[in-house]
Amino acid sequence: MKSFPFPVGSPSLFPRGPGVGLKTLVLCMTALVLMVVDRRGDSVDGLREALTVTLKPLFWVTSLPGRTAVAVTNYQTRDSLLEENAQLKQEQFLLNSRLQKLDSLQAENTRIRELLSSSTQLEERVLIAEVLSAAQDPYRHQILLDKGARDGVYRGQAVVDASGVLGQVIQVNAYSSMALLITDPNHGIPVEINRTGLQTIALGRGDGQRLSLPYLPSNADIKAGDLLVSSPLGGRFPAGYPVGEIIETRPSHGDNFMEALAKPAAHINQGRQALLVWSESYPVPEPPPAPAPEAIEPENPE
Amino acid sequence: MITTGALRLPLILLVAFFLQFTPLPDWLATARPLWIAAALVAWALSSRDPRGLFSAWIAGLLLDAAYGSVLGQHALALTLLVFLAIQMRGMISVLPGWQSALALLPAWLTYTFVLFWIDGSTQHQADPWQRWMPAYLTSLVWPLLWPLMRGLMRRDFRE
Repeated sequence: MKSFPFPVGSPSLFPRGPGVGLKTLVLCMTALVLMVVDRRGDSVDGLREALTVTLKPLFWVTSLPGRTAVAVTNYQTRDSLLEENAQLKQEQFLLNSRLQKLDSLQAENTRIRELLSSSTQLEERVLIAEVLSAAQDPYRHQILLDKGARDGVYRGQAVVDASGVLGQVIQVNAYSSMALLITDPNHGIPVEINRTGLQTIALGRGDGQRLSLPYLPSNADIKAGDLLVSSPLGGRFPAGYPVGEIIETRPSHGDNFMEALAKPAAHINQGRQALLVWSESYPVPEPPPAPAPEAIEPENPE
Repeated sequence: MITTGALRLPLILLVAFFLQFTPLPDWLATARPLWIAAALVAWALSSRDPRGLFSAWIAGLLLDAAYGSVLGQHALALTLLVFLAIQMRGMISVLPGWQSALALLPAWLTYTFVLFWIDGSTQHQADPWQRWMPAYLTSLVWPLLWPLMRGLMRRDFRE
């Protein structure tokens, strides 16, 4: 048989074995059923999770070249480290002094909120998560984080980085979770214009660079340079995190509406860490006792 | 050496998965060929191994999990693609590399169209340019990939 002079190396004279069409049909039907079931509910989440866990080593290995590159650029001499250390100390000193001011401001804020009998909690619980993989696919802006259900991560949880809102968690596995970035075309985030308090929605444009604020009234008070902050109205994002900055406004579609373009504040796809934030409306697993009222009592004149 | 047939397909798929998921800068990521689809098609064209279809289905499920797309989307598209490849086997094996690249272009486009269509019916929006680009690039790398896969198969055959 092996001397049969076909380059493809098969003994069969009938290239289309019986059952190929049938097999294809069965597999396609199974895939279709899976898709329908997946769209309808959470019943195949276990399967998805198992597959994600299977892929985790692969993601780890594929991220190695990038990590090596980072390690090489991070290689530093003692001098440069000393210099950096001094610089960081200085910076920390500066930040500490600002933090003291923040403490007193926060205390003041709590007091004023108490006067208004508002119950909004000021401190949020956060958790630092490592980004395992990001943007494997240019038209799906997602990142995989190394924290999952075991750490109390929940679906819809806000993800921020040092400079602004990154996105929200869309899928939670036991040890990892997938977050959708605000630049994804499927993502919308309720925002507030910091200067005027105007509430609107910022949608991702899918190009990874810009957010779009469509359907603004054409006389809306909004201009380039305005800061967008997250709004708690959707019940998903904690209030007050920077989302982006308006860079351009332009009339759109008809004359009655205006569209604004914003640049995300967060460093999308640039960091290896992200912060998971437990927002106020969601039950925090074990809230740390707030020492606010006693602490500020002495400052009260009465 | 990859001489035992049983391990060869998983190994080829593993390499394809690595190529597919190696992080690239955003501007370059659009230009990533459909490695997994190409590997599965090359396998289906050069081997009579009956596991091709099922492997395509499993690889598709893994892709779905990795991309967070609706479970079954890539599985369906890859199964159809491999089925197409099996049907085209006789024709492709007599064509020189660059002609087979042209002949397979409709197959990549079909694959992309199935993905695109399911995206549409599950209300996932994607930039069409970014969607279709990889299909053409796969045809571009095909003349390099095809002789390689054929060489792998033929060496096994001689032994």
